[in-house]
Amino acid sequence: MNFLIPLIPLLPLAGFAVTGLLGRQMGRQSHQIAVWAVVASWLVAMVVAFGALAHVGIATAGIDVKLWDWIPATGFHADFGFFVDPLTACLLIVVTTIGMLVHIYSIGYMAHDEGKWRFFAYLNLFMFSMLLLVLADNFLLVFAGWELVGLCSYLLIGFWYTRRSAAEAAKKAFLVNRVGDMGFALGIMAIWTQMGTLNMQAVFARIGAMPHEWQIAIALLILCGAVGKSAQFPLHVWLPDAMEGPTPVSALIHAATMVNAGVYLVARCNLIFQSASEVMVLVAAIGIFTAILAASIAFTQTDIKRVLAYSTISQLGYMFASLGVGAWTAAIFHLMSHGFFKGLLFLGSGSVIHAVDGEQDMRKMGGLARKIPITYVTMLIGSVAIAGVPPLAGFFSKDEILGGAFKNGFLWVWAIGFLVAGMTAFYMFRLMGMTFWGPSHVDPEVEHHIHESPPSMTRPLILLAVPAVFLGMLIGFPPEAGLLHTWLAPVFEGAIALSHRTEAAYTFMGVDGVLAIVTTGLVACAIVLAWRLFGVNMPSIGVNLAPRPDRVREISARPGFAFFYRGSSHKWWFDDLNNLLFVVWGGRLAAAVFWFDRTVVDGTVNGIGAVTTGAGMRLRQVQTGRVQNYALGIALGLIAMAVGYVLIAVR
Amino acid sequence: MSNSLDSYLVLSGLLFAIGTFGFLARRNAISMLMSIELMINAVNLTILAFGAFVAKLRPDAAVIALIVIAVAAAEATVGLAIVIAIYRNRKTPLVDEYDSMKD
Repeated sequence: MNFLIPLIPLLPLAGFAVTGLLGRQMGRQSHQIAVWAVVASWLVAMVVAFGALAHVGIATAGIDVKLWDWIPATGFHADFGFFVDPLTACLLIVVTTIGMLVHIYSIGYMAHDEGKWRFFAYLNLFMFSMLLLVLADNFLLVFAGWELVGLCSYLLIGFWYTRRSAAEAAKKAFLVNRVGDMGFALGIMAIWTQMGTLNMQAVFARIGAMPHEWQIAIALLILCGAVGKSAQFPLHVWLPDAMEGPTPVSALIHAATMVNAGVYLVARCNLIFQSASEVMVLVAAIGIFTAILAASIAFTQTDIKRVLAYSTISQLGYMFASLGVGAWTAAIFHLMSHGFFKGLLFLGSGSVIHAVDGEQDMRKMGGLARKIPITYVTMLIGSVAIAGVPPLAGFFSKDEILGGAFKNGFLWVWAIGFLVAGMTAFYMFRLMGMTFWGPSHVDPEVEHHIHESPPSMTRPLILLAVPAVFLGMLIGFPPEAGLLHTWLAPVFEGAIALSHRTEAAYTFMGVDGVLAIVTTGLVACAIVLAWRLFGVNMPSIGVNLAPRPDRVREISARPGFAFFYRGSSHKWWFDDLNNLLFVVWGGRLAAAVFWFDRTVVDGTVNGIGAVTTGAGMRLRQVQTGRVQNYALGIALGLIAMAVGYVLIAVR
Repeated sequence: MSNSLDSYLVLSGLLFAIGTFGFLARRNAISMLMSIELMINAVNLTILAFGAFVAKLRPDAAVIALIVIAVAAAEATVGLAIVIAIYRNRKTPLVDEYDSMKD
């Protein structure tokens, strides 16, 4: 088992090297090596994940495969090693499975792109980085993976770098992430100075004995990194713009894997966070606030990918809230199920965009259900899953989060999360209604050659729809005692013991059942509301309603709603606020500093130089090169000395 | 005033002034050397005058004067050699044309 683990990240790295170096020469076949490398990596990852989850060759507590001394400096030491336990295994399943399907999907999606080889090389590099992040056994190696995924995200958002908006979105993502990464880096430094080790398991063993202030400081700094990478408030602004990248990238990096890194990190550091319980409340607050904020913005966005992007932020907020209330397993459960159905939805939206010739505005879609049936059905499954309709994946994971919040005494988290569940269902069916049902608003020029995507694109959709439907029942049933809970119990038992909370058993005929039914009821109402406003046409279950844009306009113009409508469609002015704070005021500050640098600092230095050269220029006049002038100087000097002598002598 | 220290000093002062003027005013290197000789001799005359009129200085004055004559001879030799060397190089005895050191 030990020799298999390094293979998982190594295969995509090899694929990156080969594709990156030789891709240009491979022409149309440039995807081959990259795709096969990821498929091979997936196979190995499945074997390792099986081993870790079924405890075949891997102990319950996980195994640490140390490869070599990475930094054996005096006074500082870090290993290069991988750590596999059930939590890692869960992440491996999500990352490699979705990664592989996205690679396959990209064969079709990027078929006609000039830079296909570059795209696949970046994707492979991303796979390597993400797997490094997930597998790393010490914080420094996690940080290396963390920065590498950030780099890949930057490269892939800006993949069509000739488009100004793409280049700017890439820059924005990179810069916003830097803010969080700085906190994470400081956290790692704090860990080293306070504990003298960076190995995660060693850190977790020692965190309990630390002074409480340091526990809080370290937890806060790590949270800072997690908030940046997982696009939580107030660093959520980069993710919607990241949709400028190709759609497979949005699916892989900005929905299913990279943005989960923050959730993974907090879950991995569960002992650190649990020992700083004040920070846990902050995690929950940030998470649930982000969830409702992003969901409210998703209401009015018209770009299909942006709706999904805000939905991703909102769902990540759910995961943070879940971590914050101490429902660790539920967070990972939602991470996994969300990875699959959001990956599905993004790939589906890519297929839609592909069909309507690159159009992303939902107001110019509509009535696509009959024309691209496979995309329609799979996206419908994804929407139902994310909305939380039983018995699909999203229902189980969301139910566990809400149940965890309620039972662990965070009633406010539950209340907001409950509201967000309804909002999620509403905006997803708004998306479905505007895209697939109702009359067509597609440009007539494009209308007649709308076509279903090639099999390399539809097959990943079908394959992703399977876990979107069955994952919840498979690993989440019976609730709070399913397979996933058995797997992850050893990972989180320390934190749960530390919280002094007794885990109440799941009671379907009690509080849990009521919560599930209430939530499902709200979701159902939200779906029906969305149907009535944005239309539906599903002959199989006998509902057919026309969209009513006039009514939507009328409601959104009502006094009570107008403010919310404006706020939502302007993304609650966060971009404007950032623009004012950092671009305008920050720019002014930078201009002032620039002025100071130019005039005072450079002025001093240049002034000294100017005085020296100026004096030299003047003094050079003395050196005429004529012997007589020098002689005159000598004579005058002599006279002066004589006169001086005489004057002194006379006195 | 005829046979007094003052008259010698006035004469040597005049000779020195003439030498200085010649050194500053003439452009020809040879003339400038000659002017230097004049100045040296003016100084020498002063030394000897002091020697002749102040009894205590007599032996020293003669020795110093001899040394000055020797040094003047050596100076004249070296100076003339330099002037000839430059003249061969630059084909001119005029010092204001020796300006290659000027930027």
